[in-house]
Amino acid sequence: MTETKIIPSEYIPDVGSHTVTIDGRQYLISNDAMYTFYRRTKGEFSQFFLALRDERRLLGCKCSKCGLVRVPPFLTHCPDCNFAPTELIEVEQVGVMNSTPPITYFATALFQHMAPYGRGRVIFEGADTAMSVNLYTTTGILVPGMIAQGTEVKLIFRDRRIGEMSDVFCVPTSELSDDQIVKKGLLESEIDWEKPQEPVLPHPAEADIAVFEQVFSEIRAIIEEMDANERAKKDIAGWKRNIAVRTRGGQFGIIIDDGHIRVEEMTPWSADFVMVCDDPRTLLDGLAYRGAITDSVIGRKLWISKNTEFTTIFKFDRMARSVARSRKG
Amino acid sequence: MSKRVGIIGAAVTPFKGTWREKTYYDLAQWATREAVKDAGIAVQDVDAAFYGIYNDIFERAAIPEHAIHGLCGMQNKFGIRISTGGATGAYTMSAAHAYLAAGRFKTALVLGVEKATDCFDFSSMSATPEVIKSIGWSGDSFFEQPIGWSASDSYAEVVLAYMDEHPGDLKPEITAQISAQLSRQVKTNPIAQRQFDQVTPEEVLNSRMVVYPFRELEICVYSEGAAALIFAEEETALAISRNTGKPVIWITGLGESNEHSFVGTNQKNLARIMSDYYASHKAYEMAGISDPTKSIQVIELHDAFVHQLEISMAEFGLVPLGRADALIEDGLMTSGGKYLVNPCGGLIYCGHAVGASNIMSAWSARNELIDRSLSTALVHGTGSTIAQFTACLILEHE
Repeated sequence: MTETKIIPSEYIPDVGSHTVTIDGRQYLISNDAMYTFYRRTKGEFSQFFLALRDERRLLGCKCSKCGLVRVPPFLTHCPDCNFAPTELIEVEQVGVMNSTPPITYFATALFQHMAPYGRGRVIFEGADTAMSVNLYTTTGILVPGMIAQGTEVKLIFRDRRIGEMSDVFCVPTSELSDDQIVKKGLLESEIDWEKPQEPVLPHPAEADIAVFEQVFSEIRAIIEEMDANERAKKDIAGWKRNIAVRTRGGQFGIIIDDGHIRVEEMTPWSADFVMVCDDPRTLLDGLAYRGAITDSVIGRKLWISKNTEFTTIFKFDRMARSVARSRKG
Repeated sequence: MSKRVGIIGAAVTPFKGTWREKTYYDLAQWATREAVKDAGIAVQDVDAAFYGIYNDIFERAAIPEHAIHGLCGMQNKFGIRISTGGATGAYTMSAAHAYLAAGRFKTALVLGVEKATDCFDFSSMSATPEVIKSIGWSGDSFFEQPIGWSASDSYAEVVLAYMDEHPGDLKPEITAQISAQLSRQVKTNPIAQRQFDQVTPEEVLNSRMVVYPFRELEICVYSEGAAALIFAEEETALAISRNTGKPVIWITGLGESNEHSFVGTNQKNLARIMSDYYASHKAYEMAGISDPTKSIQVIELHDAFVHQLEISMAEFGLVPLGRADALIEDGLMTSGGKYLVNPCGGLIYCGHAVGASNIMSAWSARNELIDRSLSTALVHGTGSTIAQFTACLILEHE
């Protein structure tokens, strides 16, 4: 088992400071953190989390008076029945979505590695309340419409569990076999996950190459404008990425280097990630602020080799907006 | 019998994406200085202070109000901090009103301040992921924080549940038009973070998806700044008003409501913002308003998200539930329409300096009531997970 730290090292800055100059006066900015470590009590929730971790079972609590079953078992006595006691019971691991779940594409610093992800509320069979869970599809990136109110989902257990809500997540039962749906304690490793595979582009016709050459020159012009734009430069301050871009008519590289950005006719020999779009105008439109590149990824018009690089995609979208704002004056 | 309470002074610092020139100490004092000046009194004449500061992590200090109490000239006097998520400012006004109405004090400083964007994510080398991570500590720590709870996805849950119930409402072209309208309205707000960021509906629709169904230009922006009001009980308020020549804006109604934070039978109905419904209707009742559609003229609404603005307007009873798009389609909030909604540009364009935001909204509502000679405004604050908390105030200009 790989040991991991509570705070990954990439989040931790070095001791240091810098200054900014505003209206001719210097102001000091220090690297800092406000951190507290815990040995966190799970108390009355211990049985619930231990059942997830050790037994792959899902527990709720049933009021001894009104019979309401709350999942997760977030209280020991029912406030609706003058605090009548509740008892722990097991509920099923299939349920339906209480409502259509949101999908997070731009996550907090803690969850950028997980995006895009759904988080929604599931009413499991036997429960009267909804439990908050992460939602995934086995078929790639979760997009709006895949999971909606009433969609039946199955609870899946992580192979490595630590007694947290992140030990479990849900996928639509429509993506599972009958045996998987009825099996209790189904593990993520028992599911076929579609592996991200770089799309194979068709052989270009002469017209495709002509379109590419025209579009490439426009992309170059826009990126040069970004590189000269103070707002856009701030958007990529401290950021470095070598990106290979492949389209039907040709390929090229985009290099982001701490406040600077440029295109290169050759793809970088060591790319941090790959962008693939059949039609290069998809990328051009995003860079020109005629539609978000994020949306193109969500809509599967543009493929990226690493979901974690949504962070870079957001920076492209932000730069496009920065240039558009500057043009307005 | 409780005393009448009114606003007799107000001030707001510029809201900015980041203030490198000032800490929250000086922002707080700046707003206080200007508010007492606006009221024409000395700070020594203020009996008590009520601080609206949302998040200790933003200020990088537990009990962050301790330092600003003396800096604002309130040493040796009553001082209390209110923190209720996004609704912090509205609840702070509610608390101050209660103490003055009860006769404990004659005057009070209501001060909201926030320094949000010192938070910085060194892995993406940008502030926003760390700012929203800091807010992410506000979610349920046992069941939701570990799976990526955020303010945006939590409000998106409510919006999507509403859209499940009312699939024809909150159409993208309407939310885009509302955002564009707010961007036009902000142009006359000199303290706004995005005073000159006017956008078209097309630009809103082209902005990136942040959390489905919210696009970047449909979400409030985090700001830094401070806002201060001076409240006074009736006799004192009238005396000050005679001195300054500025009318008292009376707080005639208040309502507050916090819902369940879990969802399902006997818990929260995710498709509604019942906290908005209960708080607004309690405020109407206290103010003697039987039909808000005939009384309310100005609405300063906590628009964390455009979609939520629409639902909140429906919960206030100002547009039918399921037909909130009538705000645009029937011209209810378009220029010259029945309601003046977020003339300051709202939190989406003026900015969201959380503890200060609702207080800024009250400052704006007071300005509108006086400048346009209108009579009645509704001020609103919403916060916590799944729009759980609400506080509303009715302001009247006699």
